[in-house]
Amino acid sequence: MLGSMQSNQKPASSPSPEPRREEAIFDAVLALAAEQRAAYLNQACGEDTQLRRRVELLLRSHDHAGEFLDPALRAGTNRTLVVNPTAPSEKPGDIIGHYKIREKLGEGGCGVVYVAEQTEPVRRRVALKVIKLGMDTRSVIARFEAERQALAMMDHPNIARVLDAGATETGRPYFVMELVRGIKITDYCDQNHLNTSKRLELFVQVCHAVQHAHQKGIIHRDIKPSNILVTLHDGVPVPKVIDFGIAKATEGRLSDLTVYTELRQFIGTPAYMSPEQAEMSGLDIDTRSDIYSLGVLLYELLTGRTPFDAQELIQSGLDQMRRTIREKEPMRPSTRLSTMLVADLTAVAKRQSAEPPKLVHFIRGDLDWIVMKALEKDRMRRFESASGLALDVHRFLKNEPIEARPPSGLYRFQKWVRRNKTAFAAAAAVVAALVLGLGLSLYLFIQERHALRSERVALQRAVAAERRQAELREQAEKGLALEKHMREMVPITDKFTTAGRLLSQGQFDKAEEVMSEVPLTIPESSIIYNALGEIYGRRGEWPAAIRNFTRSITADPTNHLAYHCLAPLLVQTGDWGAYRKHCERVLSQFGETTDPAVAERMAKDCLMLPPPAASLVRFAKMADTAVAAGPTNSSWPYYEFVKGLAEYRLGHFASVLEWLQKVAAQEGVPARTAQADATLAMAEFQLGQTNAARATLAEGIKISETKLTPGRIDWNDSIIAEILLREAHELIMGAPMPTARGK
Amino acid sequence: MSDVTHILKAMEQGDPKAAGQLLPLVYDELRKLAACKMANEAPGQTLQPTALVHEAWLRLAGDEDQAWDSRAHFFGAAAEAMRRILIENARRKKALRHGAGQAPLDIQGLEIAAPAPDDQMLAIDEALNKLAALDKDKAELVKLRFFVGMTIEEAAGVLRISEATAKRWWVYARAWLYAEVRPGG
Repeated sequence: MLGSMQSNQKPASSPSPEPRREEAIFDAVLALAAEQRAAYLNQACGEDTQLRRRVELLLRSHDHAGEFLDPALRAGTNRTLVVNPTAPSEKPGDIIGHYKIREKLGEGGCGVVYVAEQTEPVRRRVALKVIKLGMDTRSVIARFEAERQALAMMDHPNIARVLDAGATETGRPYFVMELVRGIKITDYCDQNHLNTSKRLELFVQVCHAVQHAHQKGIIHRDIKPSNILVTLHDGVPVPKVIDFGIAKATEGRLSDLTVYTELRQFIGTPAYMSPEQAEMSGLDIDTRSDIYSLGVLLYELLTGRTPFDAQELIQSGLDQMRRTIREKEPMRPSTRLSTMLVADLTAVAKRQSAEPPKLVHFIRGDLDWIVMKALEKDRMRRFESASGLALDVHRFLKNEPIEARPPSGLYRFQKWVRRNKTAFAAAAAVVAALVLGLGLSLYLFIQERHALRSERVALQRAVAAERRQAELREQAEKGLALEKHMREMVPITDKFTTAGRLLSQGQFDKAEEVMSEVPLTIPESSIIYNALGEIYGRRGEWPAAIRNFTRSITADPTNHLAYHCLAPLLVQTGDWGAYRKHCERVLSQFGETTDPAVAERMAKDCLMLPPPAASLVRFAKMADTAVAAGPTNSSWPYYEFVKGLAEYRLGHFASVLEWLQKVAAQEGVPARTAQADATLAMAEFQLGQTNAARATLAEGIKISETKLTPGRIDWNDSIIAEILLREAHELIMGAPMPTARGK
Repeated sequence: MSDVTHILKAMEQGDPKAAGQLLPLVYDELRKLAACKMANEAPGQTLQPTALVHEAWLRLAGDEDQAWDSRAHFFGAAAEAMRRILIENARRKKALRHGAGQAPLDIQGLEIAAPAPDDQMLAIDEALNKLAALDKDKAELVKLRFFVGMTIEEAAGVLRISEATAKRWWVYARAWLYAEVRPGG
């Protein structure tokens, strides 16, 4: 986008015709076999010897360039490992193994999750998670196979079963799991203002699930809120732990990592990682790691924060992050709460339906000790099982004495040592030097004895090397096949290039004409259609914009940007039928999206007019998905607005005021402010505050007239603002809004 | 929330002034990040541009919740910032070698792994400027690949072009630059 956007603005920067021809011939020659090249050059360059010389120079340079500019050569840069999260190679309709991909369910640090349909041996819906990181697929699957039997034995109502694993056509590993449609446990608790006891009850269920897995010999290794989803069964919340067995199978990437991916591996979960996991030796993880993560979860359920802030951990750099997790004592939950800013504490308490002082008091003491015992750096000191942790929480709930008690004298001494580490480190270094000296001579002695055996080892290595060679050959052959596929794509990608160039030169009609030769089944073309639609949209040429966005959606039904632009156009041109159909399609495509930004846009699009009662509830749910992202999200005001709009459509007028007063006062994004003014004005009017409603409406109209001038890049949001303002004007003033704007 | 997130947001909202503010911030952040890393690393350690840029992204924007356009804007700016840092370093070191008096040496000289020896870097950069004048998009691709160390796949994602196109552009741009840098080669 960056490149093409810049060239849109500065047509002068597009290549002049000469290099274009050079490039076209150069590309074509490279696609030919060596013996055909000369003949082609003769024909393509004809009499133009200068052109021919240029192309030949380029071809020679190409042959000699070798490793010139090759970023892969840079030491330590591993090129397969960095993620490109925006270009998933799977899309709805694709078949992976026995599974047919349906909509995208969510996206996390290491993978994309889809709803998929299994056809054999049984017909059912499953969740299919494709791992994004460039990993050694074979070893991932091998590790999964090794644990498969154990996984199959897990049978617990609070565990989502892992059913299958395999590799996609592009070689990424995938996992198939029982489909759970739920929300993160922390979000569930906050959204429903669950009080502390209710939270503890849910937590106990999670502990029992983890205990069950531990008894079957399975360690989760990645317990965190996004892996514990809460669903409602007959109105009763049921937590389900997902992703069992996946962390194990996908670990061990540490062998060939760059600094970045090493960090990256942390990114999802540094806040939940146990000290022994933070060591990253990868060798010594047991069930007590999960206990630690459960402790973090409990901490977060009680205080709304993790013991260490994830963002701060990442920002402190890798080494500091490890050190913090291994050495720093977190604040006790009650201390954490009482040292928060008053506003923060009030918010946390409100989410637990409690008064701030009472909440602190409730947690202080026993709950503090339970959490801190689970969070012990030394795993010997943690609860020895998940059920032990559950039992103590249970005891607390029943007001019985808990097992996690204030520590003994020895324990306090050890803590003191930990706090005064530097002084002790000096003394320890002296001791270590002595031990090391002894150890070294012992090592040399053992080495000698092993030398005799080394010949046999060398032979084994040679065999392994040969096997590796065979693997490489196989990969090279795959590469060739891919190359061939790409050449076949050349005619189509050329069309894209041409269309892109025409776009940058401002020849939109011609670009559209070129695109008409590309089949609508190529998802990539939706980018070009979007660009065309944007251009026409900004110019106010609505039928042309509608045409291009419609094509964009046909080419790529998941392209939410196109939906977002199309919806206001359909309303603005008065095509109600098409608008209603559009909204139905939005529901089936994005109704279950967990991406707050997508939910926000789609819900706003379909709530700009009062929707039919049947779908209103579902759009309102999408607005809830958006606000679930929380006020720390950088798009929060957008989410507040869509929630306010949904509340208005639901007739919850008083709630609209709460959601929208802040957004309406916020400047900077005039379209959003105008939308909020219009909606707020309507709610005020419905509540009988006629004067306030008129004033708010006037504000909105003023913004619309002065700021939302034609040609803005957010023309689509400007249209939504106008539509809402019209509705508000009719409602409040009892007459259609005069059209002051020249449209 | 960092300033950068605000700017990215503003860019998404179509604020034309925002783009101009992004580069200096990213540039500054990369330098700070590198300096801070150098202070913690053993002497003689060099930093990888790829890792730096991605870490800067994580620090400034957080990984989640950012629209794709933000990512593209960010990495575009980061590639330019990284280019400036590397070229500055190459110039500085060259000036020192040639004994050009008191070069303004930053005490925490940023040991970022340069993709090529200094002379070659400067030559490539010069050629790259020429290419940019003819064909901005291809130059952008080279910047992402050469100065930030992105893969074809990633760079294609940032530029919103297909991988096949990115690969063709790359082959062409590389030959073009090679011909510029080694005339007659």
